[in-house]
Amino acid sequence: ARSDEGVGRRPRRRKRGCAGGARTGAGGALEQPVKRGAPAAPPYREAKTMEAPPVTMMPVTGGTINMMEYLLQGSVLDQSLESLLHRLRGLCDNMEPETFLDHEMVFLLKGQQASPFVLRARRSMDKTGTPWHLRYLGQPEMGDKNRHALVRNCVDIATSENLTDFLVEMGFRMDHEFVTKGHVFRKGIMKIVVYKIFRILVPGNTDSIEPLSLSYLVELSIVAPAGQDVVSDDMRNFAEQLKPLVHLEKIDPKRLM
Amino acid sequence: MRLLNLFCCFLVFYDSVSQMPVAEGKSVQQTVEILTRKLELLGAEKQGTFCVDCETYHTAASTMGNQGQAGKLMYVMHNSEYPLSCFALFENGPCLIADANFDVLMVKLKGFFQNAKANKIESRGTRYQYCDFLVKVGTVTMGPSARGISVEVEYCPCVVANDCWNLLMEFMQSFMGSHTPGIPSMFGNKHDSIYSPGDTMAQYMELFNKIRKQQQVSVAGIR
Repeated sequence: ARSDEGVGRRPRRRKRGCAGGARTGAGGALEQPVKRGAPAAPPYREAKTMEAPPVTMMPVTGGTINMMEYLLQGSVLDQSLESLLHRLRGLCDNMEPETFLDHEMVFLLKGQQASPFVLRARRSMDKTGTPWHLRYLGQPEMGDKNRHALVRNCVDIATSENLTDFLVEMGFRMDHEFVTKGHVFRKGIMKIVVYKIFRILVPGNTDSIEPLSLSYLVELSIVAPAGQDVVSDDMRNFAEQLKPLVHLEKIDPKRLM
Repeated sequence: MRLLNLFCCFLVFYDSVSQMPVAEGKSVQQTVEILTRKLELLGAEKQGTFCVDCETYHTAASTMGNQGQAGKLMYVMHNSEYPLSCFALFENGPCLIADANFDVLMVKLKGFFQNAKANKIESRGTRYQYCDFLVKVGTVTMGPSARGISVEVEYCPCVVANDCWNLLMEFMQSFMGSHTPGIPSMFGNKHDSIYSPGDTMAQYMELFNKIRKQQQVSVAGIR
């Protein structure tokens, strides 16, 4: 992986919880501000420094950092939303209330392997100029029953707007899409997202949508390097504070199928 | 030793990437030195180094049958001028600009896309600044062998090709003389559209592809 800390030619801009909106969705949650790559060309040139990037910014090849997503999920009925938001505002970091409206598309690449490769492409519908967010989620790690959260490998990539065309060129095909609308909160490195999923009635038309259910999905997640299982203890402690408004638990997606 | 043609890349903001033929009877190294000396005489200042590299991926046999299409080549490139980014392109297809994690994703996709490691090609060299121009003269290498020379000239204040192509040509003639290339073919009808880093990488990709093909031809001609 390439070293990506420090100053590049363009200052790294951070959007809290947001690259194409806070990512949520069955199986997905955006854990940290996604760092921007080279943004789409602006209509006029930005002031550009002429100096060469410092030597430490030279690409570093070899070695990948495995990031894992730790996840707890629960849900609340529509009528309980306000009290949950009120509690979250009290418990979480003081920040501007952040809402989002995102459109997520799930792409599959079928090969001779039994299971297709799944990628999620997400874009913000209400914030202009943000990059698209491409996400890969691995299979949940089985094992430690004492581990309090669902753990799986994740790779988050910010991309230019032609992501869907590019995925199709790679051989991916869209399997399904949906819209999410909700709120995002942060406490330290934990992200809490409360959102509603909407079904898209006409493929590709995000204007005609209808709610999938009468409830809101609640997700508590952390993205951390592999081996940091202690974070799941912090998550459990936080989840305790949200009871009885919402019960967050480790939900294995396979058991639902 | 007779050398291959150099590639000049003219990349600009508006930028141009092209190949520079190696001077008769000289090595790649010597030709690069001739060029850089000319630049320094003009008054250009050295400003660090640069590196552009390109890896080739092809769709694995396991996916080809299902998609019903011939195996495609995907190029994943990096440019030290944009250290946080990764560029993925298909020839005559879209160019995706992504952040550095795209490389990590390609590792996860190795069952579907295989990295043709022997095809990895890169250009490394010195960066020069001359007023509003950035010139990068690089040695193109594939594995251990030098395959050519790339020259990238960037005119920084401008983002529309049509507006500054003549100026760029004039500047290039001052140190490249008769080796100044014509307008890159990839621009075709797009002279008035806004230039982007993806256009730069597409030019490098064309250049690298040309160099790869050339090598196969000139093996017989090397003394």
